[in-house]
Amino acid sequence: MRAMVIDDSRAMRMILKRIVSKLDFEALEAGDGREALDLLATLDEVPELALIDWNMPNMNGLEFVTNVRADPRLREMTLVMVTTESEQSQIVRALAAGAHEYVIKPFTEGAMIEKLALLGLVPTGANS
Amino acid sequence: MSVEVEVNENDLAEMVEQVWESYLDPEGISPLIPTYDENQPSEVHSSVSITGSWTGHIVYASSTSAARRAAAAFLAMEMDEVSEEDLSDVLGELANIVGGNVKAMLPPGALLSLPQVVLAPETTARFPHSERISGVYGVWDGEPVSISMWQSRGDNKEGAE
Repeated sequence: MRAMVIDDSRAMRMILKRIVSKLDFEALEAGDGREALDLLATLDEVPELALIDWNMPNMNGLEFVTNVRADPRLREMTLVMVTTESEQSQIVRALAAGAHEYVIKPFTEGAMIEKLALLGLVPTGANS
Repeated sequence: MSVEVEVNENDLAEMVEQVWESYLDPEGISPLIPTYDENQPSEVHSSVSITGSWTGHIVYASSTSAARRAAAAFLAMEMDEVSEEDLSDVLGELANIVGGNVKAMLPPGALLSLPQVVLAPETTARFPHSERISGVYGVWDGEPVSISMWQSRGDNKEGAE
């Protein structure tokens, strides 16, 4: 399986890549939503998962989610927002736009794995 | 119109603890030890600005050594492998994380800027018409680290100087 990590912070991309790699995902990365869409357009197979920051230059995470949901080719992707935007109204906006889950920074590795397990992307108990 | 912020030092301390637990000290062996010294020195700093229902800045400041250590922890590398770009990236993300969590505690309508990083002491920072209202000051493995909140005294005055 493949996971796309989309964050303008290289440090955060590293952390997320470490986590998904431990879970046997092949990690792809992009520095913003536009770069992620461009990368997706080049791929024959769509990644199963995208972990998406909200506040990014060029194209933010919410715009990326909206674009993905408008593209039938990408409809199977599981979209998880990973962001400091933690107000209820923002979470509702992201979920309404088509995100499946929402993880608030800072997060522990265990918390992230639990979220992915809830989505059925990793076996329950992968965190132990 | 800017409101009086209700984020206090305990709230900030809790956010900082979460950052340490999540990224900088997941094993729980090297916490940030409080000094309560708001005048402790720094060599680098990063900030995010919040505008809207509250206007001000969140500033992360530390020694270069502490910043290098933070970058090494984030990026899973040795301290001597950390580049200036790594330092900037991690300092920016730290300010972004704390700033985002502060914003969540404010009344609706606040906007968070992208982070700014300055590889120079916090004393070189210029936040016109702002005053420090809260902060967490400590040492991490003997090196100074602080996270502070600066509130603008009035709307439409920033940048007037």
